[in-house]
Order: sequence, then C-alpha cells, then structure tokens
Amino acid sequence: MQKPEIIDRGEISGAGLITEEEKKAARHCIGKALELGAGQARVSLSKSVMDSYSLLNGELDKVMHSADRSIFIYLFAEGKYGTFSTNMLDTRSLDGFISKALETVRMLAPDRFRQLPSPERTACDAVTGKETGLYDPAYPEITAERKLSAAMSGSMLYNDKAGGIAGSCRETDRYSIISEECEYSDSVDDNYTADSQGFEGRHMETSFAFCSELTIQDNAGNRYSGYWWESSPFLASLDVKDCSKTALERAIRQIGPKRHRSGKFRMVVDRTVSSRLVSPLFNALNAMSIQQKNSFLEDSLDRKVFSSGLTIMDLARTPGKPGSRLYDTEGVATSDSPVIQEGTVKEYFTNTYMAGKTGLAPTVEGVSRPVLMPYSSWDSKEKEISLQAVLESCGNGIYVCGFNGGNCNPVTGDFSYGIEGFAFRNGKISHPVREMLVTGNMITLWNSLLAAGSDARGCSRWQIPTLAFDGVDFSA
Amino acid sequence: MDNGHFTETFNITVPQMEQLVRTALSHGGDYADLYLEYTTYNDLLLRDGEVTSGGFHIDYGAGIRVLKGEKTGYAYAENTDMQDLTAAAKAAAMIAGGTSSCAGPFAVTGTAQAPRGSFYPMRISWRDTSAGIFLPFLKDLEKRIFSKDSRVAKVTARLSSSVSDIMMYNSCGELACDTRPLASITASVIFSDGTRNESKSVSRSFRMGAEIVTDSIAEEMAEDAVAGIDLRFEARRPKGGKMPVVMGAGASGILLHEAMGHSFEADFNRKGQSIFSGRIGKRICAPGINIVDDGTIMYNRGACTYDDEGIPGQKTYMVRDGILNSYLHDRISARWYGVAPTGNGRRESFRFNPIPRMRATYMENGATSPEDIIASVKKGIYVDEFANGQVKIGEGDFTFYVKSGRLIENGTLTMPVKDINIIGNGPQALADITAVGNDLKIDNGTWTCGKDQSAAVSCGIPTVLVRSLTVGGE
Repeated sequence: MQKPEIIDRGEISGAGLITEEEKKAARHCIGKALELGAGQARVSLSKSVMDSYSLLNGELDKVMHSADRSIFIYLFAEGKYGTFSTNMLDTRSLDGFISKALETVRMLAPDRFRQLPSPERTACDAVTGKETGLYDPAYPEITAERKLSAAMSGSMLYNDKAGGIAGSCRETDRYSIISEECEYSDSVDDNYTADSQGFEGRHMETSFAFCSELTIQDNAGNRYSGYWWESSPFLASLDVKDCSKTALERAIRQIGPKRHRSGKFRMVVDRTVSSRLVSPLFNALNAMSIQQKNSFLEDSLDRKVFSSGLTIMDLARTPGKPGSRLYDTEGVATSDSPVIQEGTVKEYFTNTYMAGKTGLAPTVEGVSRPVLMPYSSWDSKEKEISLQAVLESCGNGIYVCGFNGGNCNPVTGDFSYGIEGFAFRNGKISHPVREMLVTGNMITLWNSLLAAGSDARGCSRWQIPTLAFDGVDFSA
Repeated sequence: MDNGHFTETFNITVPQMEQLVRTALSHGGDYADLYLEYTTYNDLLLRDGEVTSGGFHIDYGAGIRVLKGEKTGYAYAENTDMQDLTAAAKAAAMIAGGTSSCAGPFAVTGTAQAPRGSFYPMRISWRDTSAGIFLPFLKDLEKRIFSKDSRVAKVTARLSSSVSDIMMYNSCGELACDTRPLASITASVIFSDGTRNESKSVSRSFRMGAEIVTDSIAEEMAEDAVAGIDLRFEARRPKGGKMPVVMGAGASGILLHEAMGHSFEADFNRKGQSIFSGRIGKRICAPGINIVDDGTIMYNRGACTYDDEGIPGQKTYMVRDGILNSYLHDRISARWYGVAPTGNGRRESFRFNPIPRMRATYMENGATSPEDIIASVKKGIYVDEFANGQVKIGEGDFTFYVKSGRLIENGTLTMPVKDINIIGNGPQALADITAVGNDLKIDNGTWTCGKDQSAAVSCGIPTVLVRSLTVGGE
C-alpha cells in the first residue's frame, strides 16, 4: 500500500502548507484526466494542521495533533460527471486513481448541465491565499509551550490552584462546581483549487479558539451547564481570560427554572443562537431546494416575502473577518451582495449545474459571510441596538438563549423548536423557564420582526445579532 | 483471522508496531495503542430520473494514543511510514509529560471472549464490484416509488457503501483486525397534490456487502416511502399541553438513544456531568424494564465485532429490571470504575481518539400488546416517527421533533399530527413509563450519532406508554 510520495507532508511556512511541488502535482491530475479522455476537470487540494489542548478541572486532560490532507477531483467526461477524493497522494496512486475514476464516470448517465463555470465568472484575485486577510503570519512561530500556556490561562480552576485558592472558593450555598472543561485549539487551513479552463485559486486561514464549559449542581442536586467560547483568526486578538467566568455565569443563571404558561409572547433571541432561525432561509434559497420542490421560498425571487426590516447582506469580501472568501468550491468569484433586502428576496444560491437545470442566472453555490443588518420597529436615535435596548423595547416576553432539538419543515417552513431561556418583564429578566417549545412558520415569523440588534459576535462567520419577534406561540 | 491481509495493507509488521508502542510510552504513559485504517467509499445518486452523479473516496492512515491515568495524548499520520508514525507516537507521548517510567502495562480488568467470527461477513465485497451494476437498482427503486402513488413528484435515491480494514495493536500486546462493511440506501420523496407539497424519506442501512441490493429491499422501501402519506397531507398541529404519549415500535427508539443512552455513557458519568452520575444499582424505572446497548446483532449498523479499542463486541444491559446496571465504558472509564470495558470505545476514524459511544440501543419486550396500550389512553398522542432529538446531559432535558403521529381519543387513533415537538426530562420520562409492548422492533435506518464524532448506530423499542410529556402545538 505504501508508495513514495510526491506531495510532501511539509511543515507550515510563511507561504502556507501547500508547496509549489504540490500545486504542480494537483495540476498534473488535471492533465492526466484530460489525457485519459475527460472533457473538463477540477481539482481541490486541501491541507490543514490543528493542535488542541484540553483541560479538565484545571489539569491537562488531552493533547491532540492533527495534520490532514486530501485531494478532490471533479471529472466531466462525455457529458457525465463524478466526484472523487483520496488522501493517498503519491503520483503513481493518483494516476491509477484518476484512471479508475474516469471508468466510473463513464458508467453514469449523461447530464448535459454538468460543466465547469464559464471562465469569466471565476475569481482571478486569489493568488497567494492571503488576500482575505485571515492568515496570522505569527502562526508558524507559536510554540507548544505557548499553546499550553494559553490553555492554562483560560482555565478558572487552574488559575485558582496556581494562585493557591481552593477550587471551592467560587462555590456558594446556591451551587457547587461539578466540572470545568476547557480547550484551546489552533489551526491553519490551506486550499488550492484549479480547473482545466485555467482557473487557479488559493485560500489560507488560521484560527485560534478557546472554549469553556462549566457544570454546576444546585443544593437540590439539579445540574446545569454553561458554555462560552472566543475565537479569532489572530492569536493576538484571542481573549481567553473571561471565558470560564462567562460560562459559569451562564450556568448559574439557569438555577431555579419555573414553568411558564403557554401563549403568544414577544420573543427575543440571543445573538449566540439567533442563526438557528436564519439557516432555514438559506436552505430554502438554494436553487437545488427550489428545483427539487423542497423549499418554502419557491417563486420568491424579487418578491417581498418578509418584513421590510429584514435585510441580509452576503459580505464575502471583508478582509480579516471570519467567513470571508474570494471563491466558492466551483472557483466562482464571490461578491458583496444582498440576499434579502428590506424583505425582498434578491438571490437564489445557484451553482453552474442548477443554473442549467432551472434556467436561473448562476450566482454562487451558497452564502459566505451573511450579515443581518440592524433594525428596530420603534423610534430610536441610538446607533447601537444592544440586547438590553431590545429587551426594554419589547417590555415583556421570553428571552431565548438556546434551542434544544426541533425542526423546520423545508417544504412548508413550519417549525417547532425546544427552547431554554428566561421570562422577562418590563425589560428585565425575571426567571429561567424550562420545558418550553416555540412553534410557527418561518415566513410568518420573519414578518413579525420587531428588531435586529447591532451586536453580532465578531468571531462568528455568520453575523446574526439579537433578534426580536412579536406574537410567537410558546407552549409548555 | 488472517492478519496477513492487514499487515500487507498497512505495510507494517508486528515488531514495528511494538516499537511504535514503546516510543509512545517513552515519556511515562501507562498504555498506548495503534489504530490503522484503510477505508474505501462508493456513492451513487439518482436525481430527476437518472443516476448522473457518483464517485469514490479513499481514506488511509493511523492514529496513536497514549494514556496516562485518565489523560489522553493523540496524534495521527495519513500514511503508515515508520518515520511519520514515530513522529506521531512522540507527539502523543507528550501527554505523560515526564521521563520513562517502570510502571507495568495498562491492566485490562477482564475483557470479553474474543469473537468466534465477524458479525458482518460480506458475501459480495463492495471492493470487488463495479458501480455500474447498481445503476439499474436505483432506477428500479425510483420506478417502484412512482408506481405506488400518483402524487409522487420527485425522487432522489442514493446508494452509499464503504469497507474499512482496521488493525489495532496495543501495549498489552493485543492485536485485533476487523473488516467492516457499511451499506446505506436512502430515498427522499416529494409528493404534490397540486396545491401542497409533502416530503418523506426512507432508508435502510446494514453492515453488509453488495448482497444487500435486491428487488425485495427496493419493494420494501417503495412501500414504506408511500405508506401513511395520505395522513401526512391531512395532518395538522394539535393543541399542545401535557399529555400521555405512546411511542410506536421501532424508530421511536431514537428517544431512548438520545434521552437516556447518552446519559449512560461513562465519560459523562466519570466527570460527574450526567444526571445518572452515582446512581448505579439504584432503581430508575419500573420493574420489568430492560434497556440494552448491543454490538452483537448480525449485520446491524451498530454491530462491532471489535470496538475501536480492540475489545470484543458484546451486549450490555444498562438497565435491568428497572435498576441502573451498567454505564457504557471505554478503557479509560472502565479502569476508573474498576470494571471490564463494555466494548463501547468507538471513533469516527483514525483521526479521532475513542470515546464511549452507543451501538444498537433498544428496550426489550414487555408483556402488553400495542393495541391494549393505545386503548388504555383516553386523550394523548401516538408517535411513530421522531427526528432531530437533542438532550442536555446534565439536566436530562430532551426535545424531539415528531415527523408523524396521531391523536389518541378514547383509546382510538384519530387525527394525524405533524410538525410538533415533544419535550421532557429523561429520568422523569423513564420513571413515567407505565406500559411496555411485546412488539420490539429494531429500526434499520441510517442513524448516525454525532457526539463530537460521527458513529453509525441503530435503535429500537417496543410500543411504550409514557404517562405524561409536554407536547408543543397550537
């Protein structure tokens, strides 16, 4: 099985993980496919490295080192199409792999809509991979000791022990700490995509993250857990010190949940979970869903379907922001564009294949970095719309901080989700609620939008802020 | 089992593996193991009447784990060169953080008997077949579905298969080899009555070779795809509230997996995070109730001839006669609790360290007929298909989406319901089980558990009555 490799397992350098030799090997795959009879071909070579350091109750519990690589080969031959991948990357293996792949493609039924995107639609500005500003040049120099130190510094219990403080000092007569789990991780991802029409694209990004989960027990023996995380493309911007404290606060505030009566209430959705209500919209806007009659947004293009307050932009080309990318998996250039503008659907995500099948104009295969724009249905002179401002404006209702299970029917848009959160009165949180469900329809929900905050978390790829809706059905 | 095929596949010898284990333990680890994997995947997709998309994928590599107490060091290489594996062994060894110790090998406290044979022998290996021979099967499946209901508007059908060669070697000198097939057939159907659309998906998944592809499975899936679709067009959201819930036999077992099974996984209990921590030997539900996690069902999606730590597959009673009998253990938790591993140490691939995972999780039969259970409910809900379940391990709170069900009024199934959730608390729901049917059914759908890593599982349950759960509705 083992053969000499042309693609080395190279160490990260300032130029990234993928070497010129490896790019050459990827282009060799295209040449081989064409030589064996493919009409068109695309390759996508990806390499990544990840390290993680996990702590349990302030002590090192797990260290992990990962180094991944794979090559995806998309073959178009005689009007037929197939997708293949392998992580066995020596040239002899790859040549045999492509030969076998073409045999498989030739067995499939023809599909005249399968083809590469037209060259003028592909990106021409992703040359070094660093254009998106998501690569931290300090990454290759970060030592294992510094990573471990970052992991330790974020652990509340480690710092308590290091400071000679007993682990129970944070405990009160209301609760005791059962466990603290923390993880520091960093990674670098490098992608090189090329096709037989001359497209070449490179995307590199680094990521640094820290997460903490605290489990506590109240004096009645009930357990609650709280979670918090920070992440950044740059180590210098990663602030880990309050992660465990925030996680602990989020666990403590759940103590003493009460049953809440069923009814229609205003719903405020926390920025950490509000994307759950946006993802069904993007699924429904995918041309594949439309073509397969599996979308509640069929025939919605250029129609006002939602509240005028709803505007979602895809700001794919914002340097230094997580989620930015210059090309999609087809190599098609991304752009900053509206997806939904003042309630009107402006874009179906339509790849080359679906454009052919549906007659829709081709766009990109999916959203990159959605930004839901701030909005309030009340008169506000404030530029910033915070969670507190939203709660105060809504007065009374349910503040949802987590979704627990549930589903959205892709055909009808009807949804039902379990929720956790708090009741609020006169803009102030009164008590945690438990065993509640929220039900409704996505189109109805987004037509009752009261507010969208300006507080989306900067570390998220999807910029979805605090949201507020009127007249939502809750049952308990 | 002939190990020659595996040592040849991975181009490695037993002495070389011994050397790697020694390197892995060089910083004082208690235990080390190697996990070598070669997996081939095949995929065919029918959409709009033709099989126009397909492909195959290869994954190859080896992971090295070092344990020091409960601490884990893990690294892997995407090849089996000794140079790269030695580097991975050294990286994993760092968890021990010290110099070489004279500690003895990791003690395994009584493992199960080595299996007498595989739980999933292939008659026709996927590696020996050409994708082309399966195209007519997918077209036939589509044709059968279209023929059974005039409202069928779209059919998407997929045949996926994989074969994994796995070799495991550890510092106790144990060598285990396993060839694991996994085949899945799925069909997603969109129905349209001219004014409204409805969707339904059916699937079958087994650890089998290409012999799974038969006319009978196509017919069975086609029947399932259209079954109950009239009810789905009629279904409405019921009025919500607390009420008795009857869980239909089979796929409702996913509630058992999510709401109870995860809380029985020993890692959560070892860390004190599960609501069942410290409750071994305690009564948690009515006498007569047995809940099992079973890796020994022939050809089952969750079957494990060996788990991913080389422990032979076995059947584990988590709850026996209403008493919490056992957690689900990997080697770490088994040593911590001083019990034998239960064969639940599983991983997604060589890229992951093993953790306690379920296999086929089900409740054993009770004595009541399903008809009598339904007849005993004055006003409640009957659920025959759940989806998208989620549980909070510490609190035990769970939520499940009801894909299809019926109201129960005066002991009779009436209005079909859909697009609602059921919410409850795992331990409370267990304690509230008041009747268990005699109609256990294992569901052979494409269930995949996502606890940090993906794992193929299955589930099952007889018809069960829970006294009271919250049903979300209008």
